[in-house]
Amino acid sequence: MQIFRALLPLLFCLPLAAGAQPAFDMPPERSTAGGFTLAWEAEEPVVLEQATGPDHGDTRILYQGGDTSTVISGLPDGEYRFRLRAVDADTWADEATVVVEHHSLARAFGFFAVGAVVFLGLIGAILRGRPRD
Amino acid sequence: MTSLGAPILPTSIAWGLLAAFSILWVALGWWLGRHNRTAEDHMLAGRNVGLALATATAMATWVTANTTMTAPQLALQLGVWGMLGYSLGALGLILFAPLARRIRELMPEGFTSGDFIRLRYGKFTWRVFLVVSLIYAFGWLVSMAMAGGVLINALAGIDYRVGMTVILTVCVIYTLLGGLRAVIGTDFIQTIIIIAGAAFIAWLTIDKVGFEAIHFNLLDERPELLNLLFPAAIMFLFNNLLFGVGEIFHSNVWWSRAFAFGRNVGFRAYLLGGLLWLPIPIVAGFIALATPALGINVPAADMVGPLVAAEVLGLTGAIVVFIVVFAALASSLDSLLAATSDLVTRDIYRGHIRPRASAQNQFHATKVIVVLLGLLTWLAASYRGEIPIVGSLAELLYFTGAFVASAIWPIVAGLYWRRANPAGAALSMILGSTLGLISYFAIGFYVAALVGAAVSLVVMAGSTWLWPRPFDWGRLARDEAPAGGSRA
Repeated sequence: MQIFRALLPLLFCLPLAAGAQPAFDMPPERSTAGGFTLAWEAEEPVVLEQATGPDHGDTRILYQGGDTSTVISGLPDGEYRFRLRAVDADTWADEATVVVEHHSLARAFGFFAVGAVVFLGLIGAILRGRPRD
Repeated sequence: MTSLGAPILPTSIAWGLLAAFSILWVALGWWLGRHNRTAEDHMLAGRNVGLALATATAMATWVTANTTMTAPQLALQLGVWGMLGYSLGALGLILFAPLARRIRELMPEGFTSGDFIRLRYGKFTWRVFLVVSLIYAFGWLVSMAMAGGVLINALAGIDYRVGMTVILTVCVIYTLLGGLRAVIGTDFIQTIIIIAGAAFIAWLTIDKVGFEAIHFNLLDERPELLNLLFPAAIMFLFNNLLFGVGEIFHSNVWWSRAFAFGRNVGFRAYLLGGLLWLPIPIVAGFIALATPALGINVPAADMVGPLVAAEVLGLTGAIVVFIVVFAALASSLDSLLAATSDLVTRDIYRGHIRPRASAQNQFHATKVIVVLLGLLTWLAASYRGEIPIVGSLAELLYFTGAFVASAIWPIVAGLYWRRANPAGAALSMILGSTLGLISYFAIGFYVAALVGAAVSLVVMAGSTWLWPRPFDWGRLARDEAPAGGSRA
């Protein structure tokens, strides 16, 4: 009886696992570098689409095949929607939305300036070439 | 879109190449190291390496898994600036040229970078430096072992762990057999393979895909990669430069070569090595920009280089990439294994565990440590993707950036500023690493080294200005304790 109780949850899971739909695996919510990796769990080849609006009007197929992840990069600021389905399915199994918001140029050039100061200081220290007394 | 389902390199060819080059490197290691009798032979190749070999080893060691595989990854993630920024790593080698000359002048009988820090700043700073140096060395070792596994998996579909294990084992064996002499000798051959192979791949990529198609598809699908005002890439530029400088300035890989090169060779060898290295990341990174034009799916960012090359160039390309990256990996893995085992032998084993260890003890300890390092590396690389910082090559590599960049100023001040403050040197590494790591997690991998170097500069300059501690340069040569010079 105890064994049956222990196995009961597994028995319920079996039919679900057999017909599992593809699903995103912890998609990011936000990116400040215009890129990220989208991963998914699927038992068969999938179709991955990308769009920028909620109605998926400008959709394009990003990937179709048996891999379970893809690297996305070089996206400008915006809200990007992704959806996933098995190749032979008619309905979409999962959706994810990622907001791309790049660092501000002020912050970027701030770091650039700090780097330039450190680098020029380094050149100066080495070019002196001799120990300072 | 192409996927990983059908590897371009047949498994039998991949195993054949692996076996052929493994035998070649191990045989060369044995042959080159057959006359090694002392720890000094093993660790510093007799201290008389000439300009051609010295230039080749400087360049080949700096062409790492990171150059051949992370440069394409950064081009894919950060675009044109990512690719060009990576090539600024050449400045690390070029700027180390005058340092190599100064190191040789100050410590003609020196062994490791740890020796210098101990004599210059005392024991506390030395221990902080060892922590920084070993974290970096280990991160680099793991990243290269990972690159080996990724490469073989991407091209031939061989299991990641199997490929990684084979490459690591081969490098451990020939480093064990030949020491630094074998490392430098094989580096020379590997340099020729790397330069010829990289030029061949870039030429074929441009010929087959064309600039116009690459440009048009990037604009359409990944426009930020062509944007010269791409914020993360702008932040990355000096970060990468300072990361490269930090890697080279502190690491015993480069210090051991400064001690091993003949007199007056170090300056020219590092300068030439840097200039030869400069175009390699641009060539290697460029091919990743062809990804949209080719419609290739890239499942993990660090796989993009081999995937694109194999896709564009077919079987021949896959074979060339395989050989080039295997050569690049081997030339760096062996160098790092040798230099790190020297550091552990001199500064941990002899410095902390057996201060009276004889030359023979150290000679044997070096070999045991090479094997232990190989085992630890294998263990960590086995968990690729399962430990957060051991995610992709770039993530792991730039994690160590916070540590190494914080060591830049303690090294430069130690070599050139007579009044550099020892406590300030330790504090600059501790604070630089800490704040660099915070920025790694809070902002991104592309600022960790930059923050570490900036904090290190402020603390080092401030402490030296406020509390100067005069130092007698002659102590560095006088207090060196020769070890391993006698016959074992």
